[in-house]
Amino acid sequence: MEVIICETLHTQPKVLTMAAIPSSTVESGTTIDPRRKTLATAVSAILQEAGFFAFEKAALGTLTEMLQSLLCEIGRSSKQFSEQALRTVPVVGDVVMALLELGINVTSVQAYKQRLSNRMAVSTPAQQVDMKQHSVLQVGDKKPHPFHIPDHLPPFPDTHTYCFSHSYKQPVTEYEAIREKAAAQKKDIERALTKFAAKTSDTQTLFLTDDKEFMLVGVKPNPKAYLDALMPRDQVFEEEEERTRRKKRKAAQEEADQQEEKDKLNDSQEGELDNPYLRPVKMPRKPKVKK
Amino acid sequence: MDSNQQQGGGQQISRTAGVPLSDFLMQLEDYNPTIPDAVTAYYLNSSGFETADGRLVRLISLAAQKFISDIANDALQHCKMRGSQQSSSKTKGKDKRFTLTMEDLTPVLAEYGITVKKPHYYI
Repeated sequence: MEVIICETLHTQPKVLTMAAIPSSTVESGTTIDPRRKTLATAVSAILQEAGFFAFEKAALGTLTEMLQSLLCEIGRSSKQFSEQALRTVPVVGDVVMALLELGINVTSVQAYKQRLSNRMAVSTPAQQVDMKQHSVLQVGDKKPHPFHIPDHLPPFPDTHTYCFSHSYKQPVTEYEAIREKAAAQKKDIERALTKFAAKTSDTQTLFLTDDKEFMLVGVKPNPKAYLDALMPRDQVFEEEEERTRRKKRKAAQEEADQQEEKDKLNDSQEGELDNPYLRPVKMPRKPKVKK
Repeated sequence: MDSNQQQGGGQQISRTAGVPLSDFLMQLEDYNPTIPDAVTAYYLNSSGFETADGRLVRLISLAAQKFISDIANDALQHCKMRGSQQSSSKTKGKDKRFTLTMEDLTPVLAEYGITVKKPHYYI
């Protein structure tokens, strides 16, 4: 059980301040209602007046809850009595009736007030000022009022809320900017490709430790490494070369096919050629032998 | 415990019956109860009670204060009685310092018709 000593209350002057009770004693929640906190302070002041030196947290909480319920109940009951008498605003009689119904005699309250010698008053909690500055997001420039609108009227809202503006931008046509952009793009592509190669294929590291930052793309061993040095190839022509190689291969295959067909033809019909570009073989005339 | 501290007894009524209610209200004009007016007014407003008369709010504050004070006094008596029964030597030398515990509060509240059950945990 947690026991809170109200020693601080003793040292305080007659008017208690909110600091008299540490905030954790009253209610530990996400948000502490300041009014509830004040009620708890008032309860602790009453307890101290009665002669208690300390209290349990649960006892204080119970009494605070009771005090709050009592206040609410008196208010509700008074309102009911006033409404029963066809009044909208309660008068003293209604409050007295409500108190009587709750078992509190007004005359005993009078007596209580008289014998209250060293009464304490809990100061009214100060209004909390909202310190946070609510900044409004400023978008664009606000237009000033036209001459026919007086100044005391509210300013125009942001221009983007009522003005039409194009959603596209004029393309950049400056030569330097384009070159710079292209260079940057090339660099990015190279870097990305290197990274991709490093991630997908074998890598080598310069250092003994396993580190991810300085990875090198692994070199594929070539049995005739000197060939690359002897026959330098330009990047640009690589593609063409590939194309020609492919063509050659195709042509060779076609030739082979044709040869096969020819053979077949030769087998089937000798002497007859269906190739229009080839003339039939002219047999040399036999010279007439003169007798 | 002197007779003054006894709650709502018949003797008090006879002693203070002479003061009319209107005079009592006038006295409340410049009187600050322990519970701040603003806090009392808030709880009254939350239950539908709305008034421009500050004296009514103070009367209710004072009545509520008395209610709690009576309970506190009874609990103190309880505490003292329990202390004398145990007659602990701990607090013998120095001035007795009383601590309000639920042990004392629960039977007192039961006398007022309020049942307090010990919560499993108190937040």
